[in-house]
Amino acid sequence: MARNRGCIVALVVLICACACWDMFAGPKADQTTTQSGGAVSNDSYMGLSGEELWSNNCLRCHNIRPPTMYSDAQWEVIVHHMRLRANITGQEQRAIVEFLKSAK
Amino acid sequence: MKIHRCYPAAIVQAVILTIVSARAQDTTTDGYVTRKEYDELKAELLAMKKELDALKKTGGPKQESSEGRALASTAPKQEEPASQTAGDLHKEVASALSRPVAESIGSLLGTTKFLLAGWAEGMFEARNGQVSTFSASFNPIFLWELTPKLLFDSRLEIEPSGGGTNVNLVNAQLSYLLNDYMALGVGEFFSPSNVFVERFEPQWINKLPDRPIGVYHGILPNISVGAQVRGGFPIGPTRADYAFYVSNGPVLNTFDARTAGTLDFNSYTDNNDNKAVGGRVGFLPIPGVEVGYGFETSKPGFQGTTFHDVQALVQSVDLEVTRDSDLLRGRINLFAQYAWSHVDHAVYDPDGSLGFGPLAFTSKQDGGYAELAYRPTKADIDFVRNVELVFRWDHLSRDPSGLGDPWETRWTLGLNYWLSPSTVLKAAYEWDQPSGEPNRNALFIQTAMGF
Repeated sequence: MARNRGCIVALVVLICACACWDMFAGPKADQTTTQSGGAVSNDSYMGLSGEELWSNNCLRCHNIRPPTMYSDAQWEVIVHHMRLRANITGQEQRAIVEFLKSAK
Repeated sequence: MKIHRCYPAAIVQAVILTIVSARAQDTTTDGYVTRKEYDELKAELLAMKKELDALKKTGGPKQESSEGRALASTAPKQEEPASQTAGDLHKEVASALSRPVAESIGSLLGTTKFLLAGWAEGMFEARNGQVSTFSASFNPIFLWELTPKLLFDSRLEIEPSGGGTNVNLVNAQLSYLLNDYMALGVGEFFSPSNVFVERFEPQWINKLPDRPIGVYHGILPNISVGAQVRGGFPIGPTRADYAFYVSNGPVLNTFDARTAGTLDFNSYTDNNDNKAVGGRVGFLPIPGVEVGYGFETSKPGFQGTTFHDVQALVQSVDLEVTRDSDLLRGRINLFAQYAWSHVDHAVYDPDGSLGFGPLAFTSKQDGGYAELAYRPTKADIDFVRNVELVFRWDHLSRDPSGLGDPWETRWTLGLNYWLSPSTVLKAAYEWDQPSGEPNRNALFIQTAMGF
């Protein structure tokens, strides 16, 4: 009984999320900002730039921290660690690191 | 300091080499230097001084390899059409200069990268039926990148307890990147089958002061000791990720009437030769959305007992949605996870020696949570932008086992204020109703900082 109740709740949440997706649509990435981010990963997820990959992947779990918060060497270690945790690809890792270094 | 000592030495060496070079030319110019030769050498010397000044200002390149490359690459460019003698002289100076500078920098920085990260929290909790209390914890994360492919990461949990301090090793793992799509890990790691502990458990990330029952210290494992392989890969315009592992696995509780048939995931040493196998696969159809399925199968019974062949299976489905909305002028996070477990039919306390048997049943549990958060990140007022509203439902239940049907459901409403991207002040009220017991409603106030 409890399991059924939980499944129903989960299903309702999923359906609501899908139904409201377009209504809650966010803005398209600003082209100028994207280009200034540089570091476009050619074969990365959906061809996103380093800035977009950084934003999309980090925001999935937590607030993003400004690129100036850590040194280049520290970002390399952090993104290496986060690659393992969030299962991003090597290309995405490199594009994100390149963006973080260039954004200071 | 060592670096700066090298510059005077290099200048002196350059002057000496200049004089030696001039004397060498004496043999071919009747003991005199022409005005043209003198001007050329003077110009070279001035150019080298400028280079040294520039190096002093920049503090030199950051790494040994880049130092060598920088000098090697800039030297010919700045040489222009100087004489062969001057070019040789410059190369000698550059070579003599690069070695000690590079060696000095290398000895200072080394080739590995170390970072101390982590988070800390302080909390006040007033729960119905319990004494109110303050608590605090410090959770350092040690990240050591030995090479660009090799990373060691470990987290400690340090917290006051009673008259002392508890120090727990939360995880310690060595990881190696095999290629762009696969990494190996060995050690003690956050269980990939439980997405909550892998991604949302740190208190500066978790949006409410406490963690959801059911998925945290409930049905699913939090920590596993073993080996794992994981990674992600694109599928056309979408992406998938995976993580699979083998580990010591849980222990089947058999000695206590209230816990018989449940799995103890906090016993990190194995109790038999069977290893647990688990993992999670995730799919990201569009940026900001991920759905996943996790599982772990094991034989949790003690070796040599009647429970050694009992099979256990835990499974989980999860959904994570993050969306910036113009309509709502802010960001929405929706996190949901539901887990269920099944332990084969077994007879607990078969001879009645423990005082509650014989008790035969198939153990089943289920539980999960759904959490919705909204933060008006597009509001015009700074204060409003930093406020976040959070609502969570979480639940844990256990199927009839002869000992009743205990379940617990909680509804929690939270209000957060973000002092920085990784520092948050949380206040929350939780309506907590266990079955057959008085409510355990609670008030929380917590601050957490990630670093």
